[in-house]
Amino acid sequence: MTGPDIEPLGDAALVVRSPLAAALLADLTARPLPGVREAVPALNVLTVLYDPLTSGPASLAADLRARLAQLRPKQVEKARTHVLPVTFDGPDLMWCAAHTGRGVPDFIAALCATPLEVAFLGFTPGFAFLTGLPPALQMPRLATPRERVPAGSVALGGPWAGVYPRETPGGWRLVGRTQVTLFDLQRPEPVLWRAGDRVRFEVAGA
Amino acid sequence: MLEVVRPGLQTTVQDAGRRARALGVPGGGAADPLALRLANALVGNPPQAPALEVTLAGPTLRFHADALVALWGAPFDAALDGQPFPLGRALPVRAGQTLALGGTRRGARAVLAVRGGLEGQPALGSRATDLRSGFGGMEGRALRAGDHLAWAPLPPAAPPRAFLSPALCTATGPQVTLRVLPTSEATPDLLAALTGQPFTVGGQTDRMGARLTEAVSAPHDPARVSLPNVPGGVQLPPDGRPILLLPDAGTHGGYPTPLVVASADLPVLGQLRAGDRVTFREVTLRQAHAALRQQERDVRQAEAALRRWYAKHTEPYTERT
Repeated sequence: MTGPDIEPLGDAALVVRSPLAAALLADLTARPLPGVREAVPALNVLTVLYDPLTSGPASLAADLRARLAQLRPKQVEKARTHVLPVTFDGPDLMWCAAHTGRGVPDFIAALCATPLEVAFLGFTPGFAFLTGLPPALQMPRLATPRERVPAGSVALGGPWAGVYPRETPGGWRLVGRTQVTLFDLQRPEPVLWRAGDRVRFEVAGA
Repeated sequence: MLEVVRPGLQTTVQDAGRRARALGVPGGGAADPLALRLANALVGNPPQAPALEVTLAGPTLRFHADALVALWGAPFDAALDGQPFPLGRALPVRAGQTLALGGTRRGARAVLAVRGGLEGQPALGSRATDLRSGFGGMEGRALRAGDHLAWAPLPPAAPPRAFLSPALCTATGPQVTLRVLPTSEATPDLLAALTGQPFTVGGQTDRMGARLTEAVSAPHDPARVSLPNVPGGVQLPPDGRPILLLPDAGTHGGYPTPLVVASADLPVLGQLRAGDRVTFREVTLRQAHAALRQQERDVRQAEAALRRWYAKHTEPYTERT
């Protein structure tokens, strides 16, 4: 019914796997498809939640395919750059530096020199999956997640970097913390960043 | 205005939830969405109006103004000034009266709707309480003794004399069958293991998820990337004990999700309590959609009948000074 790149996930969602997933999300936001409740991004994946009472998966998949056929990779002109001041004093900082075979100052310098990008938002309100870490700076996740990671923690996990907006459990390696508020309902745009935004860490107070 | 005398185990303001998953914000909303719709219909509210969701042990509420209220969902004991207060019927409460909800023999949750709809903090398009993130509803938390809640004014109406049919009530335990759809992560062995035995709902069960206690052999895939979760997803963490995702579940997850509960059975998840026995039964996409359409026909029929009553029996609204 739907081919290899679009498959059902339960009876009210379709999973679209495409390098154009981010562009498809922007397109669906600008020109909503009837019956689509919301579209949720991940890396090269868009999960489209639909109302089965008004929309059939076969016709919706056909519509999504038609949209994909018209899209080009998302243009970068709207990207903003966020510079996050980070105090590098996390409990895993020394472990991470040793894992890369560097001294701590070298490791911090390498991390701050790395241009990161918001791949997608998810997990908790305001959490961004930041992509762009070179393999040398990628860290294995903890075998057992911490029950409490303090809000503002800057962390590395697998291919990702991230900042915990609030205290939650978490299995990534903590290298530092930032004071920047990532989620605030009082702001016109509660979430600090959008997919596609550029991010750079800098040493706080330096 | 109503005053919370005793808060109950976990009483929150809930509505139909929000659509901001793309920002990492859970859907939220009533764990038994059909109970919300029907409780609202009983008092002449729009289907998504905010109401109280009560859990396992209900609250005691003192009303400081006349109100029209209805309770629907799991069979909670309830009394209005000591007199039995039935489920599935809209009843007037006078200023000064106290509505006391007790426990429930089966299921976990019911919805108490007040004509006009409760007020609550709006956040990202919904007034639903998100306990984990701490926003929506009453300051983003469960009710406490001493809280006061207001509701929006609606023209007074004569309550319908009808009761809701028990057939409209969401199924509750102790034995429940959930219709499920396999995903591409369901290998034949895994599917056989998940559908071949009943599971027990464990004590780690809340608005985020229901943890089952029996383990199956879980695929170990450390390379699996985080993907968007869907309501009713059945996640399989490394220990092999399945987790059923409820409305406050995180938006993305890294665990394999071999099954998704059919939309028609999502309200049943909101009624699971520790000790219930759950059996998964595989259905096709077509069967799942047919079940949802049938359920929707029944619910809309009840909603339409109640709307007709209120259209006829609502007094013209006059501002009182």
